[in-house]
Amino acid sequence: MESAPICVYLVISLQPSLILIGVAFLLVSSSNLAYPEKLSTYECGFDPFDDARNRFDIRFYLAAILFIIFDLEVTFLFAWAVSLDKIGLFGFWSMIVFLLILTIGFLFEWKKGALDWE
Amino acid sequence: MFEHDFLALFPEIFLINATIILLIYGVVFSTSKKYDYPPLVCNVSWLGLLSVLITILLLASSTPLTVANLFYNNLIIDHFTYFCQIFLLVSTASTIVMCLGYFKEESLNAFESIILILLSTCSMLFMISAYDLIAMYLAIELQSLCFYVIAASKRDSEFSTEAGLKYFILGAFSSGILLFGCSMIYGFTGVTNFEELAKIFTGYEITLFGAQSSGIFMGILFIAVGFLFKITAVPFHMWAPDVYEGSPTLVTAFFSIAPKISILANMVRVFIYSFYDPTWQQLFFFCSIASMILGALAAMAQNKVKRLLAYSSIGHVGYLFIGFSCGTIEGIQSLLIGVFIYVLMTINVFAIVLALRQNRFKYIADLGALAKTNPILAITLSITMFSYAGIPPLAGFCSKFYLFFAALGCGAYLLALIGVVTSVISCFYYIRFVKIMYFDTPKKWILYKPMDREKSLLLAITLFLISFFFLYPSPLFLVSHQMALSLCL
Repeated sequence: MESAPICVYLVISLQPSLILIGVAFLLVSSSNLAYPEKLSTYECGFDPFDDARNRFDIRFYLAAILFIIFDLEVTFLFAWAVSLDKIGLFGFWSMIVFLLILTIGFLFEWKKGALDWE
Repeated sequence: MFEHDFLALFPEIFLINATIILLIYGVVFSTSKKYDYPPLVCNVSWLGLLSVLITILLLASSTPLTVANLFYNNLIIDHFTYFCQIFLLVSTASTIVMCLGYFKEESLNAFESIILILLSTCSMLFMISAYDLIAMYLAIELQSLCFYVIAASKRDSEFSTEAGLKYFILGAFSSGILLFGCSMIYGFTGVTNFEELAKIFTGYEITLFGAQSSGIFMGILFIAVGFLFKITAVPFHMWAPDVYEGSPTLVTAFFSIAPKISILANMVRVFIYSFYDPTWQQLFFFCSIASMILGALAAMAQNKVKRLLAYSSIGHVGYLFIGFSCGTIEGIQSLLIGVFIYVLMTINVFAIVLALRQNRFKYIADLGALAKTNPILAITLSITMFSYAGIPPLAGFCSKFYLFFAALGCGAYLLALIGVVTSVISCFYYIRFVKIMYFDTPKKWILYKPMDREKSLLLAITLFLISFFFLYPSPLFLVSHQMALSLCL
């Protein structure tokens, strides 16, 4: 019974998503009024020049992965910085070892050129 | 505070440091314009082999610390882990030896493969000595992550990418199931340490319909399913043939050899030490029978070598599970002997597959008339295939005999019967290798380049051990008995 607020929250948070999708379905053009000319892309009256889709650049994905890794490192740094007086010298050197391993990973990606073209 | 603990972990610390130094060396010099971007893969693999051998030396000579509980009972070192770790490192060293020629032929200039193999070896060392559910899960995750990457390491083949993707999805899924089981165990018992769990579950009846114990039952079931996924037992084996076939051959060899040792060691510790209960016996009985039957029947229809070896390793896991599901000391002993002999035979087979690879060894029919073009290799492969089939007096027969003996000793007559029957059925496709080599004439003669010295040494050593194991099996029997005793007591 302690998790009843979570169930209420779930139901309430499901509603906007369902409303958004449902209203989109209601307001779309019904099949009587749609013909190929109406559904094609609009490029100022001309025929479409090219496919509107681009090739996905892998650098975006790489940037996201690097962000995740160093963001988690920063998260651990926050927790460590706050409790440094209680964990003493041993805690300090443990964090230094952790940072060292992540620095080696950083050196690897630097040398490999993952930081270059963006 | 932890000085003795770090001293006991000295081999692992050395291996991690060696890996990091090799990584820095590799990346700094292979991307430097001054030295004209050298491909450093051969250097790094020889140095990696050297560091694995030094780790074996450090592990074997750590005599002051034979039994220890480390890091607040997260890790344990005893005779079981000692021999398992040495065995794991020896098999990793053999795999690296096999790959030294492979990199030159395939011109796979990514030295990171060796780094990842070394890292996963280190994590498997931790996995073997894990004594806590959290430590076990962390080690399994590190090992699996390294494996996902090297399964997809051949970048110009979409076969390899498909294998890596399949392995990643199924591996992540099975790790999730494993972790869910661990969290349920923690939720219902409040401890994650194996020793504490063993104390809780002594004499405690775990059934599905009990009031408190149904949660524990589900937790242990999920952990079992997670482990069975990773060891490619039926009915969770579906990813294995595709992944084994698509990965580069070196990586397939590493997959067949090393994780089996470490995950089986971990399973033995979890299920026989902590969760000892007759309820799990039925699950492992079923998996063992299904694996043996599937391994025997599905391999008959295969034309490609690596898929056939994948199915044969699934079948072998079924045989190993016979020993595991007995739950007696003889059962564990037969499991350990079976693992040792399985690894020997697998190293032999993959060394031959890698040696013949220079001229496209993808289909079994490529082996035609090997007896005339390379008779010694044909004899080696025939002896290994006979050993897989379980024909006396080779080592495979000894291991299967001991496994069935243990099954009969604990009363699992059905297991032994199905084991014998599937052994006979699987003889068919093993001996088909021999028939193709000796009695088939292919339309086009296939000539192979001679293999390099390291693989030939490896083949000679493993062939010698397989053929003459029956003359002097007592060291292995004594060692495995000591391992089983130190686990159970």
